[in-house]
Amino acid sequence: MSIALKAQSVSIAFGGVAALQDVSVDFPEREIIGIIGPNGAGKTALLNVICGMTPPDEGEIFLHDVSLSGMKPSDVASLGLRRTFQSSQLFPGMSVLENMMCGLHLMGSTKLFGAVFRSQAMKDEEAEMRRRAMEALNFVGFKHFADRPGSALSFGQQRIIEIARTLIYEPKVVLLDEPAVGLSVTRVAELETLLRRIRDERGVTLIMIEHVIRLVMGVSDRIVVLNSGQKIAEGQPAEVRNDPMVIEAYLGHQAANE
Amino acid sequence: MQFFLGKRTFLIVLFGALLLMPSLANEYHIFIANLVMLYIILALGLNMLIGFAGQLAFANAAMYGIGAYGAGLLMKHFAWPYWAAAPGGMLIAMAAGTLLALPALRMSGIYLALTTLAFAQFVWWLMTHWTSVTFGAGGFIPPPIDFSPIPVTQEIGIYYLTWVAAILLYLAAKNTMASSIGRAFVAIRDGEVAAESLGINLLRYKALAFAISGFYAGTAGALYGGMLGFVGPESFDLLQMILHKAAVVIGGLGSIIGSVIGGVLLTVSVEITKELKWSIEMAFGALLMLFVLFQPTGLVTFIKRWVPGWREHLQYLPEREAQRSIDVEASVEDVGITSTDESAQERRP
Repeated sequence: MSIALKAQSVSIAFGGVAALQDVSVDFPEREIIGIIGPNGAGKTALLNVICGMTPPDEGEIFLHDVSLSGMKPSDVASLGLRRTFQSSQLFPGMSVLENMMCGLHLMGSTKLFGAVFRSQAMKDEEAEMRRRAMEALNFVGFKHFADRPGSALSFGQQRIIEIARTLIYEPKVVLLDEPAVGLSVTRVAELETLLRRIRDERGVTLIMIEHVIRLVMGVSDRIVVLNSGQKIAEGQPAEVRNDPMVIEAYLGHQAANE
Repeated sequence: MQFFLGKRTFLIVLFGALLLMPSLANEYHIFIANLVMLYIILALGLNMLIGFAGQLAFANAAMYGIGAYGAGLLMKHFAWPYWAAAPGGMLIAMAAGTLLALPALRMSGIYLALTTLAFAQFVWWLMTHWTSVTFGAGGFIPPPIDFSPIPVTQEIGIYYLTWVAAILLYLAAKNTMASSIGRAFVAIRDGEVAAESLGINLLRYKALAFAISGFYAGTAGALYGGMLGFVGPESFDLLQMILHKAAVVIGGLGSIIGSVIGGVLLTVSVEITKELKWSIEMAFGALLMLFVLFQPTGLVTFIKRWVPGWREHLQYLPEREAQRSIDVEASVEDVGITSTDESAQERRP
């Protein structure tokens, strides 16, 4: 089992509030890792540190042994780490296909000159991007949406397209911030299948924050529990479910003793 | 049908008419036609910055002025020929534009608007007060431009130069916005955080957007000085900025063909306003507000809705249009997770 992503003693504070305190987690390759915890536990803070949006006060993130210290989110993205957000971040002014092609932005090697004169190399590159975009849309079963504007899709559909947009660049690690939020029960089940397929067919490590406990417990290979900025438990779903620390964090002190 | 009504036909007719203009019309109408082409260039450049990249900048008139002053002063002070001075003015405007990307990295929306407006006023102040270099409020007359060995007057020579520039800059804008650069601009407009998470470098693309619009405005400025045979600060004040913005908004934010329509309509409306002796400031201030309130995506969305052959990359659709296409699709299909029936229940409160 090799490690895809490693968070090493990460600490970060926002104006005196410690959002993360000395958190170390190893994320193995080709696994789905769920991050759970009560509100304000530091889950999104951890994701933001990993993807380079907020530099940590202390500690380091390694992607396949490469340190991500001091990198901008766009640099981190170029190394094969992609993410989705809590609210839909599909670009409303573009078609679904163009949104997908944005995911391949870094594939573009032709520069301003090629773009202005629409060179052959540039046309070939666009055609290749379009092909890969259609392939990724096909993977999630949304091929027929290609020409639709991003804003014309339902919230649930936008979330799935967003996941497809992270896959298109063939990432090593994808961070998902509450992918099931706002989805109906049947859609959550379909999402679960999709996440498994991403792990198995694409070999991607998925790191997922999720409040829908049924989804996390069902799909995750491993669960990390955060509370008040600290890691309080880590392990397989069954172990974590019965961990007294976890029960206490969720239900309170008395419940844990009963 | 599509062939006759499409935007390609519109462009061929427009630029064909502009090509023939000098042999058919009087001097005044040639001047207006030349202005039409300059406003097309200005609207194209500004639209890429505010319509595509979403950077609410108010310095386009200043860039226009820097292009005109740069070219004119290089001729006046250093006796450069127009062939060298005009590109010089264009490059100076482009450099000044690129500098504005630095505040744009930290600010957006109204704050960026105010900062760039302050910059524009500062440039205007330099034009009026730095008399030893810019000749102050009275402006100056650059040396005449020699087109020899081609036997044309300065007016006609500049006219055709503008014609060629407008076509080339239109094609360049259209191609660039249809490439990954255009997509990066729109991504930054629609969501900076998401754009960055896809590997789009904000500094590089904001700087590029400002540089491109500076280059377009500088080109228009260098041509404007040559056309008028005079350069003075009153051509580059706040009203000028309102006119550029009006051209972009009337035509259609985020639409290249919209900028061409906007440039034409704006110049013609300015002439009509002058004819009727209305206040230009009030007429165009009101027009700009009416469009922003009632038709924020400009006239081009009307055309796109009713006439075939006007499709563009990176369609900018207002909420209402988007909703309409959901309704149409929802009645057609329902296939597992892709179905549209969930739109009502899944939309977040």
